Amino acid sequence: MTTQSANKPIWKRKIHWIDRGALHGTIRLLVLAFCILVGFTTGRAQDDLLAHTTAGYVPVISGGIAYIQNVSGGVQYLAPQINPVLLVPIGNSLLLESHVDFTGYFNRMNYTSGPYIGKVYKTTESAQLDWYADSHAILVAGRYILPFGLYSERLTPVWIHNLQDIPLTYAIGTHPYGSGDGIMVRGVAASLPSSTIQYTAYFSAQSSIEQLQAVRAAGGDTSIFVPSKRVEIGLSYQRTLYGYQINNEAVYLSWQPQRASIDLKAEFDRNYFGDGYWIEAAHIPQQFPVAPNFFRHAQMVGRIEEFFVRNGGGNGLASENQQRPEVGFNYQIRDDWRLESSYGRLFSRSEDSNTWNFGFTYRFVWPLWPGRKS
Amino acid sequence: MNDLARHKWLLALVVCGMCLVALAAALGQTTPAVTALTRTQNKAAPADPGEKIYAANCARCHTPPMTLDPRVTGTILMHMRTRARLSSKDQKLLLQYLSP
Repeated sequence: MTTQSANKPIWKRKIHWIDRGALHGTIRLLVLAFCILVGFTTGRAQDDLLAHTTAGYVPVISGGIAYIQNVSGGVQYLAPQINPVLLVPIGNSLLLESHVDFTGYFNRMNYTSGPYIGKVYKTTESAQLDWYADSHAILVAGRYILPFGLYSERLTPVWIHNLQDIPLTYAIGTHPYGSGDGIMVRGVAASLPSSTIQYTAYFSAQSSIEQLQAVRAAGGDTSIFVPSKRVEIGLSYQRTLYGYQINNEAVYLSWQPQRASIDLKAEFDRNYFGDGYWIEAAHIPQQFPVAPNFFRHAQMVGRIEEFFVRNGGGNGLASENQQRPEVGFNYQIRDDWRLESSYGRLFSRSEDSNTWNFGFTYRFVWPLWPGRKS
Repeated sequence: MNDLARHKWLLALVVCGMCLVALAAALGQTTPAVTALTRTQNKAAPADPGEKIYAANCARCHTPPMTLDPRVTGTILMHMRTRARLSSKDQKLLLQYLSP
């Protein structure tokens, strides 16, 4: 290496002066150093908490797997999907998380006959860094799932939602990508014995990068939860700042009565293109008079929803008014395996159609590091 | 189907749903429950503060997790702290409840 080159900063030196073997060695060394750093920080994560628990902080891959057979209007679709979520804690105040969705849609070539054809769609739902800045504030940077309403952020995982068909108003506040690229602050504003107030505020930048597409938008969400009544009421607001500059609004309710194993959820959404609501009730018959051991693993679900078009609709929403009542029966084989079935009928001015779903979901949590065992 | 018939259909479903809720509430649900959600619901006041936090936050959206490997509990709770907007105090109580 010449003296002139040696005087240059290292990032300006020409790489061909470096022996290829040495370069690979350096990269290996850097990777090793990074792994040691991550392992060290992971190992010492949450020391204060570990003092009182057996909890470990190894990197984790979790998520859900599902296979759903859907029949809509007489056309059969096969929809296998896997949604892995990678979680890597870094120290005691940072968490790297990434959520990817792979969903296949296959149907017969001529809709009712012929071989199955289709495609697997992959979507990066989130790739974010969480910083636990304060007891009541979490800063999130990167790509995150838009926290709009009750459904989009909390009920979308395939092993969580009770009915596989997404609500008719789902596109309000999430169209077209469902995720934002930017920053978000969230947490609990007040945590009292009588109530808890939670909040989220975010800004998303415009992005057209493959797998990271997002629209410029800003918004927030707040909810109040009353533990004694098990009632949560929330509000979401979002302003789209690119293209159609519109407001999206949502009001939602979640209620699990004390005396019955009923889970009631409802949401009303509105924007320039339409408004609508869904109400869903799920019940686990704990004390069914016949075969109680069988029925206590069963879940009965019902949902009604309506969508009313405004200004022509579109933008992920239907272009005509729709109503859909839907009922479902799910069976929890084990904690992680669930059989699902549902039937719904979609009413619209142009056509009424039936929707059937059958399938199963599986949720998993796998450690990616040996860590310590209790 | 005309609009009136559709709305009658929906009204009938709503009435059926309300009857179902009322019936379930009347039964009282006193048998041992399958899930932590219902376990907690059946108790007048959960003794463990972590259990209370669990019922108030986690069980609002999903059934309890499968038996968690203690190695992953801390990481999962960091994730859930973000997702469920928990305070650090709630996170600690949950850790002690899930991995004592």
